[in-house]
Amino acid sequence: MSDQPARPVTVLIAALGGEGGGVLADWLVDAAAAEDFPVQSTSIPGVAQRTGATTYYIEIFPARADTLGGRRPVFALTPSPGNIDVMVASELIEAGRAMQNGYVSPERTTLVASTHRIYAIAEKIAMGDGRYDAHAVTRAADQLAKWAVLYDFARLAQQTGSVINAVLFGAIASTGALPFGRAACEAAIRRSGKGVEASLRGFAAGFACARGELAPAAGRAAAPRAADPVEIVRQSFPPQTHAIIEEGVRRVTDYQDDDYARLYLERLTPILTVDRHGAQSEYKLTNATARHLALWMSYEDVIRVAALKTRTSRIARVRDEIGAKTHEPVVVVEFLKPGVEELCAVLPAALGSRVLAFARKRGLTDRFNVGLHVKTTTVTGFLLLRTMARLKPWRRRTARFAEEQALIGRWLDAVERCAARDPAAAIEIAECARLIKGYGETHRRGLRNFNLIFESLADRRADAAAIKQAREAALADPEGDALDKTLAALAGSLSPSHGLPAVDPCIFEGSGEQASSPSGDVARAARG
Amino acid sequence: MERSFKKEVELLRLRGGATFHGEGILAVTKALLQSGVSYIGGYQGAPVSHLVDVLADAKDILDELGVHFQPAANEAGAAAMLGASINYPLRGAVTWKSTVGTNVASDALSNVASAGVKGGALIIIGEDYGEGASIIQERSHAFAMKSQIWLLDPRPNLPTIVDMVEKGFQLSEASNTPVMLELRIRACHVHGSFVTKDNRAPQFSRNHVIETPDYDYSRICLPPSTYAQEKHKIDVRWPAAVKFIRDNRLNETFAGRHDDIGIVLQGGMYNTVVRALQQLGLADAFGDCEVPLYVMNVTYPMVPDEVTEFCAGKRAVLVVEEGQPAYIEQAVNAMLRKADLNTTVVGKDVLPMAGEYTGEVVLTGVTRFVEGAVPRGLDLAQVSAAFEQLTAPKRRAVEHLGAPVPARPPGFCVGCPERPVFSAMKIVQKELGPLHVSADIGCHTFSTLPPFNIGNTVLGYGLGLASSTGVAPAFGKRVISVMGDGGFWHNGLSTGVSSAVFNKNDSVLVIMKNGYTSATGTQNIPSSGRNAHNERVDMAIENALKGVGVKWLKTIRTYNIGTMVRALREAMTTREPGLKVIVADGECQLERQRRIRPLNAKALAAGERVVRTRFGVDEDVCTGDHSCIRLSGCPSLTVKPSSDPLKTDPVAHVNNGCVGCGVCGEVAHAAVLCPSFYKADIVQNPTWFDRMLHRIRQRVIGYLGGAPTGAAAT
Repeated sequence: MSDQPARPVTVLIAALGGEGGGVLADWLVDAAAAEDFPVQSTSIPGVAQRTGATTYYIEIFPARADTLGGRRPVFALTPSPGNIDVMVASELIEAGRAMQNGYVSPERTTLVASTHRIYAIAEKIAMGDGRYDAHAVTRAADQLAKWAVLYDFARLAQQTGSVINAVLFGAIASTGALPFGRAACEAAIRRSGKGVEASLRGFAAGFACARGELAPAAGRAAAPRAADPVEIVRQSFPPQTHAIIEEGVRRVTDYQDDDYARLYLERLTPILTVDRHGAQSEYKLTNATARHLALWMSYEDVIRVAALKTRTSRIARVRDEIGAKTHEPVVVVEFLKPGVEELCAVLPAALGSRVLAFARKRGLTDRFNVGLHVKTTTVTGFLLLRTMARLKPWRRRTARFAEEQALIGRWLDAVERCAARDPAAAIEIAECARLIKGYGETHRRGLRNFNLIFESLADRRADAAAIKQAREAALADPEGDALDKTLAALAGSLSPSHGLPAVDPCIFEGSGEQASSPSGDVARAARG
Repeated sequence: MERSFKKEVELLRLRGGATFHGEGILAVTKALLQSGVSYIGGYQGAPVSHLVDVLADAKDILDELGVHFQPAANEAGAAAMLGASINYPLRGAVTWKSTVGTNVASDALSNVASAGVKGGALIIIGEDYGEGASIIQERSHAFAMKSQIWLLDPRPNLPTIVDMVEKGFQLSEASNTPVMLELRIRACHVHGSFVTKDNRAPQFSRNHVIETPDYDYSRICLPPSTYAQEKHKIDVRWPAAVKFIRDNRLNETFAGRHDDIGIVLQGGMYNTVVRALQQLGLADAFGDCEVPLYVMNVTYPMVPDEVTEFCAGKRAVLVVEEGQPAYIEQAVNAMLRKADLNTTVVGKDVLPMAGEYTGEVVLTGVTRFVEGAVPRGLDLAQVSAAFEQLTAPKRRAVEHLGAPVPARPPGFCVGCPERPVFSAMKIVQKELGPLHVSADIGCHTFSTLPPFNIGNTVLGYGLGLASSTGVAPAFGKRVISVMGDGGFWHNGLSTGVSSAVFNKNDSVLVIMKNGYTSATGTQNIPSSGRNAHNERVDMAIENALKGVGVKWLKTIRTYNIGTMVRALREAMTTREPGLKVIVADGECQLERQRRIRPLNAKALAAGERVVRTRFGVDEDVCTGDHSCIRLSGCPSLTVKPSSDPLKTDPVAHVNNGCVGCGVCGEVAHAAVLCPSFYKADIVQNPTWFDRMLHRIRQRVIGYLGGAPTGAAAT
């Protein structure tokens, strides 16, 4: 039987629960069986399918059973590294996992993978950006596969009103790596009898795509924005900073008014002045500061949230996101739960700060939140939020406004002073503004972390690496354990024995919480 | 049930000479009918759930044959069914997930093994070991050895599996001993084919009843019968089994060119070993190997003569035995020693002691064995080169990828009713400090994974409450136990609840009432309202709790997180002594969607008004902290790149998988997170009133400066 194929064609499908990986395996088995090719499939259903990653493994012997003289090939039940002809991944990281497990080899493997991302829980729960580097996967695929077909098959499925398994089936079929052709595959889809038309549509799209008949997935086009040049920006800032600063101007103007935008630019001017090496570094410091300053100056209070939730473009975006058809009425319910902090944010500064101080002292900050389900698609609900949004001019007189402006001033001051001495560290201090975000407790936690880093490192002439390390630690866990440990360790290295002064003489005035202890307990002491 | 088996049921009807195409575990089911069983029982669990599930849908066929089928309350109940075969020539089969199910069944198993059987008794064991396993990693082999139950481990192809089912009954009857048929996960789910035989009606059944009961004290497990039974096992049953295995050639020997070495393997390992040899150029695609193989389709008892015959004249043999301890390897060594054979036995020194024997593991072990044994006339360089080429891509991938890709642990499904209970627990812990939580087995065990990380111990199915009784007194505050409704009926009612009431334990129990044993494929349980045959039953968890004297009892809809938080807080702090039970009520969302989707589709097609609910996140309000995800973990609540050029962190996003359960909004509310979430009710097939109201609202909102909503509701 020397003219018989030496081994089966092996297909490994990596999929997530609910993507129809099992149906794809069934199609392959059915197509092979219809050709009278011996075939076997295995899978590991069960708990792995509850949202986890799972695999389906198929072996097809590419010779008709009646030509084998009664002999049956021995099929493996588990895939082996270096032994996969067709590797299918319904999502990009699953392609990475396949490579990591050795299932993609340059000698044999045709890799067909969708480039869209379904984020793993570890990526989603990060406090900042925990996403895995997708480029590492695509680069590795180009290196490791005999042929890599990478495309956003999920989008293709959506566009064709199909399911990703059918699209992937088409893509596999068109690579020629299967021992049967397009007609056999389509016949298998027809025999399955469920959603046949949609699946055939998806199959055809996938088939055309892998042959390069479709344009490659275009990168995300920058959202078109109204050209709204601000003359000051154009005249006073270098071109490398225009993109961000113009966006910043638009943001703070929308948030408050033109005066506020001018304040934004006034605040940036000294930073640009100290950004001496800016030209060589694409004005990294100015850009980072401009970005965070705009976000900080447009901090989210109830007025802002009300404005965002009632702006004209919003309902259209919601309708698009939830896939409502044009003739279908939509009722939108907002989940709002304002409490003491939100109330104080709109009270006059003197009164608001007093009430807030009282509440904080008594631990009552979270005690009086009122759960509101506001329907912004009803007249009364809309009117309520719209009225709230109209309080914008009043914002300048609120306690929260004063508090935020003071914090911003202190932060900018530190960035500016540090830039003169250590530009790299100044960028890191600027980036620390990233920690302050969210609402309620999230916001308080961010602020606390920010203050901790400020007092134990930024004010004490720590270098860029230390500040960066602390900032990343602050984003490691919500409880702040990593930050505590990191600060304690860093405080040791900042001790006077290393020749650094314990206290930066140029820290800004007025902070009652100067960290003067050189010991490793700085972090905890300042926190307590 | 998660799946309908109406189509598969037809496979069970196939007459002799037809070709069965399908899943391994369903082939076993067909083989049982071909073997003339009188009764079948079992408890669901991957990977053998489908055996139970398909029979639940196969009432007609079973009635025609007179076969009694009954899903048992637990594995002990299933094993106890085998008592039917002790006195009467009734063939019977039971099934469950091993080793956890075998643990539960072991009391009955010991007794049936001691008494011995007249009718063939087969235990189908789903060996949940290795990749995809959801339980502790042990092997069933020890159970077979301790009770002298014979253990079959067939080559994982359908003809062999089916043949071993039939031979298993014969072996059981020839040796008066129950027999276990062990199938690994992939063997249960392998799709293949075999040629069928006619189904056989059992000799005795509800269609042909037994006239007189048999009384035989020697079959009773009391002294002195038990002493006699133990002797009978050793003196009569064991030799009879060895003789049957030998005479019927249940184990197989395959010759090979390099006969100075050989491989001794479990039948279940056959395909993996052959593949490894193929990859090294030592076998062809059809399993013709250059290295001789001794394949043990029966791994207990072993047949010493066969082992010594195979090893005689060989310098070295490799024992491929998955799992630990290495019973077979030890036995082979002892047999060779007794036969005074000098063959070197290699096994766990080139293969790992623990863990699944995947293709990669076996390939590595076989390569090391061949390289070490140096068979005559074999070009080792070729073998080594092949191995090198196969394993290189994995090393290169590590270099290219840098960091390992993130793991994807299983978790609660979209809209799962159990998720909000743990969100509530997380919120309560913020107030009361960290709590000790005795977790249990079921979908709710996912609470022990990110993002919840709730649950300090898992002791076994239905044992959540029982496992808290030792540790509870050591805490200054109450501990919480979790139990699913599956675990509750499996044994939790007696082991946990009754005992806690009886002992006046002051603790808190949360029972997840989702209506089914969801983790195993949503089989019905007593509180589902219907049994496996779809007959109505009236058994409520609350009634059972009241019946055993639980006084503090609250049933709370799980999605009401605020109410759940209050109930947990009260249960933890009330002065009332005794057991406090919260029944967390919410139907399994998988099952619910399976029920309502077709109904909605039908209503929509008929032009009826249907409201579809979805949740969403306002991207510009979201600040990208992801607290909401840390309190939810819903697969449809994910992140996406921010389209705001000023924000670099990804923002939260609800994708199209959303079923509108509302947990994300409720969590944001209950934990006071942020105002980003919105709920959208989309009115499909709106009535004239809906349209009119919508038009008026749009008009007024437009006048107030709001959106021209773009929806021209006409």
